Amino acid sequence: MKRWLVNIWESVSTLLIGMGITWRHLRRIRKGNVTLQYPEETWPRPERLIGFDHQHYNVIRSRLHVDIDDCIGCLKCERACPVSCIKIETVKAPKEVDLGLTSHDTKKRLLVKRFDIDMSECMYCNLCTYPCPEECIYMTGGPNSHKHPIDYEFSEYDRNNLIYRFAALSDEEVEQRLRVPAPPVTNEASHD
Amino acid sequence: MGIVHGEEMVLNIGPQHPSTHGVLRLHVQTDGEVVSHIEPVIGYLHRCFEKHCEHLTYEQVIPYTDRCDYIASMNNNFGYVVAMEEFLGIQVPERVEYIRVIMAELNRIASHLIALGTYGLDVGAFTPFLYMFRDRERILDLFELTCGARLLYNYMWVGGLSHDLPVGFVDACYRFLDDFEPNLKEYHDLLMYNKIFIERTADVGVLPAEVAIQYGVTGPNLRGSGVQWDLRKNEPYSIYDRFDFDIPVGTGQMGSVGDCWDRYWVRAQEMAESVKIIRQALQDLPAEGNVHEALPRKVRAPKGSIYKRTESPRGDLGYYIISDGKGTPFRVKMRSPAFTALSVLSEIASGWMISDVIAILGSLDIVLGEIDR
Repeated sequence: MKRWLVNIWESVSTLLIGMGITWRHLRRIRKGNVTLQYPEETWPRPERLIGFDHQHYNVIRSRLHVDIDDCIGCLKCERACPVSCIKIETVKAPKEVDLGLTSHDTKKRLLVKRFDIDMSECMYCNLCTYPCPEECIYMTGGPNSHKHPIDYEFSEYDRNNLIYRFAALSDEEVEQRLRVPAPPVTNEASHD
Repeated sequence: MGIVHGEEMVLNIGPQHPSTHGVLRLHVQTDGEVVSHIEPVIGYLHRCFEKHCEHLTYEQVIPYTDRCDYIASMNNNFGYVVAMEEFLGIQVPERVEYIRVIMAELNRIASHLIALGTYGLDVGAFTPFLYMFRDRERILDLFELTCGARLLYNYMWVGGLSHDLPVGFVDACYRFLDDFEPNLKEYHDLLMYNKIFIERTADVGVLPAEVAIQYGVTGPNLRGSGVQWDLRKNEPYSIYDRFDFDIPVGTGQMGSVGDCWDRYWVRAQEMAESVKIIRQALQDLPAEGNVHEALPRKVRAPKGSIYKRTESPRGDLGYYIISDGKGTPFRVKMRSPAFTALSVLSEIASGWMISDVIAILGSLDIVLGEIDR
């Protein structure tokens, strides 16, 4: 009998404690407390909230972007990629041909014929951005937002549009670029 | 009147079922409503982690370890890099060690919050789940602040970290801990000491210590059975020997030792212990130190092998790495704590009702990404 009463008492009291907590939360609720109306509002990226010095590193994980003018075709990012979603093809330029300089003043010796990143395969590990000697492959946004603003959603209707072709030169174009002697050429970045 | 045995019925729970915590199929043989045998069918989330590793360099394995136990990725990274560093004989800077411990413990809290929240969901309490996810969200914000990713971090590297802590992280972390500790009591009142919850979990699915040890069950499930075994204390790796914390073990407060309630209680206490560790680590965190200092230019392991285990939120997480001296590992074997926890299910759930099976399965806190790998 006593056990029975104790059980009832415990059930009611612990239930009321729980109800009290939810009631307190209900009273404390403010507008915009938790839920964000996503397409209209977007969650601010953390560095804007805290404002840390992001000169040295990029903590954003977003879509990849390549400044193809700066690319020297060293293939370091391609080798670093665990899922091989970066495909690069290069053509060696003859000695007489000047392909120009990168923004780090490195002489370009290879013509990047093809630079594809399949963003639907990317696992956002950021491993490709570290070894780049010219800092030309990066995740958009963050410290790179002056170069390329962040994209929150880069969804596409067609899966093929997620393959970013930063360089797609046809054989004729390559031949034209590498013709000897040729005037100094700047590579045209083709970006979709 | 004797017990009437009818024909056995086979019931399939899953693979698409909210209570199986992923894609797990339970092949349940039932006699009426009483379960006589359970056969977990796994492999629906198999992604060939171990085979993939043989084609990847040692650094490239790290993002894959993230994807095994995807709700405690930091701890997975931690286990792998600790193993690799011991293999290569790398001494990492103090600051890196402290940051790693802070991150691992934050992720332990986040993981336990999911474990407890979804357990409440399994036994029919919806509110705690929302509250716990709210707090977990703040931990994920801290991670996003640090490394840009919210779930799959690739943060710990062999010999260092991908990023240093951002300015203001320590304050943000203290703010979170200050807010979190009172919430912890709220969760306990809301769910753990609720009479209905106790009725559902106490004395249900008792896992005796001997059975747990025989099956190789580790982590909170083993400690819930009253065995004081925590690799952070018993076999300290990294700098865990510097911190002062307790190992909560199940005592059978509400029923018998090793029941579902004990396992729940152990996880709840562990969160408080993790808070303690983080506070100490934040206090002693060295201000100076380059996180990229000890990074090897190219990770190239000598011929040989290593087995190193660390305490992940689910238990002993072991990495067995064999190298033949080339740039890629010859073999990487991951010892998954959730796998052993799942294997004990049939042992402890036989004889219970179907609804109790859900409660028992939830209390084991399995992650299918780690079981199937």
